[in-house]
Amino acid sequence: MTMKTLGSVLLTAILAVLILAPADLTGLGLPWGGFRRSDIDVLTLWLITAIAAMGVNLIVGYAGQETLAQAAFLGIGAYLTALMTKAGYPFVAAFLASGLLSFVVGILLGFPALRVQKHYLAFVTLAFTVFAWLVFRNEEWLTGGVTGIQNIPRPTLFGFRSKPALVYYWFALAMTVALALVMAWILRSPWGRAFTALRENAIRAESLGVDVRTYTLLAFAIGSAYGGLAGALYAPFVEFIDPSPFALGPSLLFLLMVVVGGMGTQAGPFIGAAVAVLLQNRLEILQSSNPAFAHLSYLLVYAILVMVLMAFCPTGIVGLWQRITAPRRRPHADDKGPILGQVKS
Amino acid sequence: MLRTVSFALVAGLGLATSAMAQDTIKIPNIIELSGAGATVGTNWKNGSSMAVDEINAAGGILGKKIEMVFIDSASDPGKARVGIQRALDDTPIAIFGPIYSGSVSATLKLTEEAQVPQIIGGEAANLTAQGSKYIFRTSFGQNVSMPKIANYLRDGVKAKTVAVVYVNNDFGKGGRNAIIKELEARQIKVVADVSTEAGQADFAADVVKVKGANADAVFVYTNEEESARFLIEARKQGIDKPLIGETTLLGQKVIDLAKDAANGAKGHVGLTVDAAIPAVQEFGRKFQAKYNYKSDHNGMKGYIAPYMIKAAAEKAGKLDAKAIADALRGLTITPDKTPGILIEATWDETGEIDRISFLAEIKDGKQIITETLPKLKK
Repeated sequence: MTMKTLGSVLLTAILAVLILAPADLTGLGLPWGGFRRSDIDVLTLWLITAIAAMGVNLIVGYAGQETLAQAAFLGIGAYLTALMTKAGYPFVAAFLASGLLSFVVGILLGFPALRVQKHYLAFVTLAFTVFAWLVFRNEEWLTGGVTGIQNIPRPTLFGFRSKPALVYYWFALAMTVALALVMAWILRSPWGRAFTALRENAIRAESLGVDVRTYTLLAFAIGSAYGGLAGALYAPFVEFIDPSPFALGPSLLFLLMVVVGGMGTQAGPFIGAAVAVLLQNRLEILQSSNPAFAHLSYLLVYAILVMVLMAFCPTGIVGLWQRITAPRRRPHADDKGPILGQVKS
Repeated sequence: MLRTVSFALVAGLGLATSAMAQDTIKIPNIIELSGAGATVGTNWKNGSSMAVDEINAAGGILGKKIEMVFIDSASDPGKARVGIQRALDDTPIAIFGPIYSGSVSATLKLTEEAQVPQIIGGEAANLTAQGSKYIFRTSFGQNVSMPKIANYLRDGVKAKTVAVVYVNNDFGKGGRNAIIKELEARQIKVVADVSTEAGQADFAADVVKVKGANADAVFVYTNEEESARFLIEARKQGIDKPLIGETTLLGQKVIDLAKDAANGAKGHVGLTVDAAIPAVQEFGRKFQAKYNYKSDHNGMKGYIAPYMIKAAAEKAGKLDAKAIADALRGLTITPDKTPGILIEATWDETGEIDRISFLAEIKDGKQIITETLPKLKK
């Protein structure tokens, strides 16, 4: 079996587990009661977070730009979806509109990236996040201000009400798979190679005929659209939104996820989001349900874990995985050559 | 290999949570233990833990010991929702928290569906207006406290014009909207409407605005630290108009921080450790002795929550979520039967609380109760 087929078998297996594991299978005669509703909710949150992280990964990991604005786009998508579905528009329309609006705003945010780089660009996007948060909070006539928007309906799609936690999870999973496939297609297309060329050496890319300007804007637009689409899924999930999840802190967290997971890899955002959502949730459960750990701060433990990981494995978890498996997979590789995923000095 | 290890780790963490003793009942608290609301949540946690220790020492509720579980909402509505859902999966007899109104809004539908009483710390007016029969307040909603303040401004201060200073978060904004509505209903003009930030350090510009408005009274509705800073700046710039507040402005923390500048501040106090009620002062002393700092109103809110469940469960005669909620609606809990309730309180059909409250003034660095306002419905 080649590596490629092994990979697709593994992916199919993971997908099958993700589809079936949360469900109650006792009706099919299998001794598996499924997940508790809260665990299903955590998985849904993980998927939504991973979609937004995919966008950051495109902008930062593939196109080599910086963004601290993903939470703002999550907010744009969430508010637009909340307002549209509450006004009676179908969810599909709100979902597409959220992606489109984020795409357009993403292009606008991309313009500074044509002039400034690295930390300066990070600050421009940081300013945008603060600006968006202020709009969410202060434009009360539109966003409800600090009291937020309540009773956001969960959509009915193809006759299925997505109100039950498990149905909404499956819906989010379907969306995540679809968006991951689109992302994989983008990255394999000439666009994807242009993004990578941009990251590796912008001047060389330009001399080879890559339109740096267009591709920079495109990276921002597509990456931001993923944020908006994640937001469109977030609002009906929580059924309530207020400005707090769309502030600067969460934006930093999205960048952290991509770095922890493995920048510029397709599995990275999923693993990074798992560290941010699932691991934090497990640690919190461990602390709150065991009196022995009551005086432990799970956030402290979490922070230390992330710091240790970053110190010993700057290429993220995917990089670590590749480092462990690389020698076995390629026995004839040049042992002086760079290891896949290693940071370039 | 790494994958196997991490799976094993995650599975192990999961298994470690499932041990459960049968002779105790767990009450989950989903509160703000990190993030912007950490102070608020910690006060609640300390207050409710202290009450549960007392209840357990006296034999528990209907013979069962209580075990508190604290789940961190990280001051985030999405995380609060996940936390409440997790708590509901264990079919608890009650849920405590959250305290931030936004997080309450994000979760009250879940407890309503599950028919589990949710004892909240949120004060925003819209919470009890959302139709849930399963939320119960531990302090006045702004829909109750603001009419009292407006009456005081009209009858006590005799103000014709008022300047409103508020902190722009769900607490401050909700209060500001409620007070402006009440003032307008009483033909009192709002001549300045000043928004401030949580954590703001410099209030010079805001005080200039307030001073320029030349109102008969200034209504200050911010958190404790900001209230103190505002009072200091107001005295510095020589504002001689009455400074009126609601609960927070007259808190001990404000007095400690603002020192002399706090003198003369007046207002309405819902829950205060300084109330001239022996049970309340006794609570204040016990809290101080145990945690080595003075409780604020959130500590008191957390403290009465377990006693609400105790009284309701004893009335219902069983430890059942729906029965407890049914018992709590319309219930009056009196301190002679349940001393931990501190002050007699009644809950109506929407979960709104009714009890006496106080008009107070700060004199010589102490909160002095000048008048006790009766319950709204007798």
